[in-house]
Amino acid sequence: MQKKWYRLDTAALIFPAIASRNWSNVFRFSATLRETVDLRTLQQAAEDLRPRFPTFYVTLRKGFFWYYLEEMKPGESCERILRQEYAYPLTFMSRAERKKSCLRIIAWRNRIAVELFHSVTDGSGARIFLCNLVARYLEIRHDLRIPPNGIIRSLADPPQKEETEDSFLKNAAAAGAGRREERSFHLRGRRTPDGFKNLTTGIAETGELLEAAHRFGVSVTVFLAAVMTESLITVQAMNRPFRRRRPVKITVPVNLRRLFPSGTLRNFALALNVGVDPRFGEYTLEELCRSLDHQLKAGATRQNMAGMIAANVIPQKNPVLRVAPVGLKNLVMSLIYRQSGETGGSINISNLGETALPEEMAPHVERLDFIIGPQRSYPNNCSVVSYGGKTCISMIRNIRESDLEQQFFSSLVRLGIRVAVESNR
Amino acid sequence: MYCVKCGVSLREGVNSCPLCGTPVWNPDQIAEEKDYPVVLPREHEESGKPAAIALTVLCVLGALIVFIACLKRYGELRWGGYVLTGIALGYILFVLPRWFRNPPAEVFVPVDHVAIALFLLYTCLKSGGRWFLSFAFPVTGISCLMMTALVSLLKYVRGGKLIILGGFMILLGGFTILIEFFESITFGTRMFQWSLYTVAVCGICGVFLLVSGLIPAMHQHIKKRFFY
Repeated sequence: MQKKWYRLDTAALIFPAIASRNWSNVFRFSATLRETVDLRTLQQAAEDLRPRFPTFYVTLRKGFFWYYLEEMKPGESCERILRQEYAYPLTFMSRAERKKSCLRIIAWRNRIAVELFHSVTDGSGARIFLCNLVARYLEIRHDLRIPPNGIIRSLADPPQKEETEDSFLKNAAAAGAGRREERSFHLRGRRTPDGFKNLTTGIAETGELLEAAHRFGVSVTVFLAAVMTESLITVQAMNRPFRRRRPVKITVPVNLRRLFPSGTLRNFALALNVGVDPRFGEYTLEELCRSLDHQLKAGATRQNMAGMIAANVIPQKNPVLRVAPVGLKNLVMSLIYRQSGETGGSINISNLGETALPEEMAPHVERLDFIIGPQRSYPNNCSVVSYGGKTCISMIRNIRESDLEQQFFSSLVRLGIRVAVESNR
Repeated sequence: MYCVKCGVSLREGVNSCPLCGTPVWNPDQIAEEKDYPVVLPREHEESGKPAAIALTVLCVLGALIVFIACLKRYGELRWGGYVLTGIALGYILFVLPRWFRNPPAEVFVPVDHVAIALFLLYTCLKSGGRWFLSFAFPVTGISCLMMTALVSLLKYVRGGKLIILGGFMILLGGFTILIEFFESITFGTRMFQWSLYTVAVCGICGVFLLVSGLIPAMHQHIKKRFFY
């Protein structure tokens, strides 16, 4: 039987090009159940999901001109994508592993986690996949019937065409927006040995966060971004003399499905950099909230995003670039990425927002976590997801120093938000 | 349970706050259940060693091929000797530092000079020349002393880089006169054919660097005029 294959979507193209010998862009979505996970049932659930979510069970292959995603061998057991948990999340996904599978399913005690190479999908896609996996697992385990809702899909249906499409191509503007941005502050530190990733998770009541955000008249994302900016400004002031200080900017991924009509399960998000320059003067948290709110609102418009999409799509359509061999493309793309990819932001705050699970599922699922890996040129990252009245703020780093985490979480505490902190150390 | 320093709530059973490391003392301590198991993935060693190994193998192979080919063809080394010593020299100059994570320059500079001197000695003896003792040896020797002094001073002396570089430039000018002197006594050429030009250029640069290093006002002035 012919194996199905998919072109990489516009955002996915960059990830194989910039993956290096010790860094790959992998992220995780996990659910903690109220019971110990049974491996055999999980494997069965993974097998059952395969016909419905074909774009997740893929390998990354190299063509002459482009990379592409190819379906895993038909009939191949899902056993090999089930993996044991390591001492830290998001272990390096090598080129050899991506050639076998871009998806990992990891079970450990009460937790089911999926880790995906970013070329496959983005955070929203991974959330839908994981929730469906958990739903199927619970269906088999407890003989439940979980009705489809916004997140849960009916496994009886075939995969929808709009779920596998590249929404970037359809929604690009006629002209591309510029990429130039001033270099922003990047945290430095002593690297952890063997690529160990320190994960610090702060769990707060969603209600308290919302209340605090509303006190400043902004959304939770903007509120967290403002607190993070304040923390980064403090950390920068502690570590750098004035002349070496730089603007502090937060990279906020924008889910484009909210701006454009799209139901794709592949990548459809772009990031905006918002922040302030601490060299110009001191900011209060209120001023930061207001500034970041305005910047985000001005940036995350449909037209502006269409322009940013076009900046990626137009070179992709250039006939000369298209016939260049993939190796040359990688070189060019990684050069461009080095120039403009991560220079504009100091840290990511990827907030997926509230996750609504069907009533039948909710009693079995204790918590959801969303974890993104450290960036290539800076060591910290932050990702947020809310479920069941709790918000999990996962901060990952591959350096030893935890100054930023300490600043950030204790700022939240000082603002009257109770935060419970856990770590994988 | 709370951290007394950060104010965040901690999980029961942890020994210290994950944020600030402040120890937690709890008389009713129960063992912590780890969120992640202690299984570490295989290490990915990061070093220049693979390249060093590959280059070593390449050098040894090249040397062996030349050695065997020469022996088979002539029954002796002949031109193979130049190639073999050349490979050895290249190895010491370019491959040897790769075995170290931070190759110390003040060690490798003299080692490289010794290697170059030995290579020149071999070439001189093999080709029946009489230029080693009176030309190649003093020139490499003085170069070795100067370069070692320069890299050590730059490495260990904090500040005063302009003075060090200025002094070095002036010495470099003097060194070119010595080179021409050794050239003239070895090969019988006339003195002061070319060295005066290099002395002039090096001297002007050196004095300029020295002066701007010694006079802070001038240092500032140059900075002000040429900042970028």
